[in-house]
Amino acid sequence: MTERESAADIEAAAARWVVRADRGDLDPAELEAWLAADTRRQGAFVRAQAAWGLLDRGRALEVEEAPRRLHVGRRGLLAGFGAAAAACVAVVVTPRLLAARYGTAVGEIRRVPLADGSLAAINTDTALEVAMKPRKREVRLDRGEAWFQVAKDAERPFVVESGPVRVRAVGTAFSVRRRDGGCEVLVTEGVVEVWSEGAGEGPRRVTAGERVFASDSAGAARPIPASLEITRELAWREGQIVLDGEAFGAAAEEFNRYNARKIVIADPALAEQKLVGWFRTNEPESFARAAAASFGARVTVRGDAILVQSVAPLAE
Amino acid sequence: MSEGRARVVAWIGREILPHEADLRAWLRRAFATAGDVDDIVQETYCRLAGLSHVDHIGEPRAYLFQAARSVALEQLRRARVVRIDTVTEIDALNVELDEPSPERIAGGRRELERVARLIAALPDRCRRIFEMRKIEGLPQREIARRMGVTENVVENESVRGLRAILAALAEGETEEVTAVRRPSTHDRTRKRR
Repeated sequence: MTERESAADIEAAAARWVVRADRGDLDPAELEAWLAADTRRQGAFVRAQAAWGLLDRGRALEVEEAPRRLHVGRRGLLAGFGAAAAACVAVVVTPRLLAARYGTAVGEIRRVPLADGSLAAINTDTALEVAMKPRKREVRLDRGEAWFQVAKDAERPFVVESGPVRVRAVGTAFSVRRRDGGCEVLVTEGVVEVWSEGAGEGPRRVTAGERVFASDSAGAARPIPASLEITRELAWREGQIVLDGEAFGAAAEEFNRYNARKIVIADPALAEQKLVGWFRTNEPESFARAAAASFGARVTVRGDAILVQSVAPLAE
Repeated sequence: MSEGRARVVAWIGREILPHEADLRAWLRRAFATAGDVDDIVQETYCRLAGLSHVDHIGEPRAYLFQAARSVALEQLRRARVVRIDTVTEIDALNVELDEPSPERIAGGRRELERVARLIAALPDRCRRIFEMRKIEGLPQREIARRMGVTENVVENESVRGLRAILAALAEGETEEVTAVRRPSTHDRTRKRR
């Protein structure tokens, strides 16, 4: 290998690519080739592009606080379209027929725009039903996990029902995961209310950056601040699993949610080892091999099982 | 540039670049042994560039730190996975990620002022070029014509200016952006093109 290119050299070259692109004097294939050689180049390039683009804000300086350009984001458009569509449809169709079912198979992740302009990201092996009613937006989560970015509509609360557990939001973003005996709720924006119909307790407010477990029978526990954890745990929306000190056993279970090929850990001591790393949800074998390598364990693949065994007793 | 990509790039400019100086300071403290902070930062931007959408990222600052931390850990151990008991530094790293720094989150007016300051701090000829390109919106060819120089000169000056601005962002802005004028850590370049 030749000497590693310095970060400063990469940065200088990236700046030149951006300026040449701006000049219109650029061979895209040449740029592609340059980028492909090193991930640091890709990073430096996007960084230079971002800074260059940021300076375009300078256009507004010319006409001293020119009226802000109207930004109708995709969400805005969807919201507008959704509301209009709902308004048209509601006249002729009964609310019952507006219910839509969304399912995902093992390993599948879907992003679905809902009729009201909200967005649902549906994780592996999930059953979801959405009913847009005149006074309420009702989502039923029978199995699995989903994250919702809820379009604001104060007239129609957005309620996720999972067993007796209820999570209510007006305009906010959160995820709900069905587990045995209750639901895990992670809030990424705004505020939601969480309760269980089975507990006879009032709703509990959970704000952005907090997580809460709502038991079917006892209702919502005290919310716990966990903003970093939440970012990590919702990495599935990008098809990733991010581990930061989780036990190998728990991590393997997480992979097993996404794949027909299951990781089996033969040795309980092995399952307790802690891990750090980023992985694709659909690459259980490379995860198992990487983990095994760091523990000095062995991986054998038999049919649909990825078996991880200790080679020698673990130290300690 | 595809629309999705354009949106991610704009998001990086708006939500990530303002935190870069803090990120670097933190990396220097927390990962003094992890090798080159510049490398980690570039790898981190590469991760961000790979995002297909960013609407869901409620806390860009925390996201950035998390991504950088993961890159640093990877570089630290080179192996893709490490046993946590060997990474004692990790516990020290959770600090301050959650601290928002509202004064840095540049919205509207503030962002404009920042852009104006960055441009104003450039060396003279560079600054004139950036004013024409970024404020008046003239293409490089027209700038060259007005200044009576070749397009290559405009290109070279633009590269120089952009690098100075990147360096200013890396160092964090002081009131007068003195950072632009003193050689930044980036300039331990061995060769120049």
